[in-house]
Amino acid sequence: MDRGEIVIQEGLCRGCGLCAVFCARGCIVIPQDKVSFKGYPIPIFVEQERCNACGVCGWMCPEYAIEVYKYVER
Amino acid sequence: MKEKAIAKEKVCGRPRLRNLMPGITCPGCHYGIIIRLLCEVIDEMGIEDNIIGLAGVGCSYAWPMTFDIDFGSCPHGRAPAMATAIKRIHPESVVFTVQGDGDLGAIGLGCFMNALLRGEKLTTIFLNNAGYGMTGGQMAPTTLPGMRTTTTPYGRDPKTTGYPLHAAELVATMKSVAYSARCTVHTPANYQRAKRATKMAFKKQIDGIGYGFVEFLSACPSVWGLSPVESLQFIEEKMLAEFPLGEFKNVDSID
Repeated sequence: MDRGEIVIQEGLCRGCGLCAVFCARGCIVIPQDKVSFKGYPIPIFVEQERCNACGVCGWMCPEYAIEVYKYVER
Repeated sequence: MKEKAIAKEKVCGRPRLRNLMPGITCPGCHYGIIIRLLCEVIDEMGIEDNIIGLAGVGCSYAWPMTFDIDFGSCPHGRAPAMATAIKRIHPESVVFTVQGDGDLGAIGLGCFMNALLRGEKLTTIFLNNAGYGMTGGQMAPTTLPGMRTTTTPYGRDPKTTGYPLHAAELVATMKSVAYSARCTVHTPANYQRAKRATKMAFKKQIDGIGYGFVEFLSACPSVWGLSPVESLQFIEEKMLAEFPLGEFKNVDSID
């Protein structure tokens, strides 16, 4: 299984929650108590070891706030 | 034993043709996903040097500022008319219009139907969110029966306000149309189908066959009064019951 990580740019996120809905492995949660400086609830990447870098959270993000990186051996 | 170095490879991020301007849409709006889809389609087809987009009036008014391609703004509903002029002056370019349901279905229905009747070879991206988003949630021609908007506070009554406009089916009956489809981006699988449909609609124009038309069902949480996640369920349960997905026309030549 591929491994990877995501980077959430909090300045761009608007807290719609689509990333948490579409993550098939439950790696992203949105605790409602953590808000960005714009006042939107922001997602947190919790289960780093479960992420398989599929990229679905990234391409379903309407604000392009998520970047997905896959680990590759060189 | 030498340990292998691990490098990071970018899988997904901001599309190459989307510039750094922040989005202007409400949280949960699907326009950002559709912009990504269009950027990827234009990038994969390699037509970014000779593509010209035209946005109508509505929530798509800011699209000219968000793409790194040639893009223009049009008066209300007149995008097909301007696209006709541009296509006739530059026949080698790929011209597409982006129109919302108020823009195409109400104000600009005459211009749009006349572009079809003239047999223009254009591509239209129709964004159907069942309401007027930018002006404050009034009833649009595509509003579902029984749906509450600011101008139909007791729900849309078909006895006085009629039935929703099915643009993809209407367009498919026209002779000059080569491709007509309805898609949605509310799940990742539907995103991939929508991408194939959009590519096909551009291909019909590039091959000179006829008009390409793609209708997108897009969520509008602000007008619907729902959360972004509830909007996905609304599309799945209500919108898809009224507006079925699929290809309604796909021909390789028009006699």
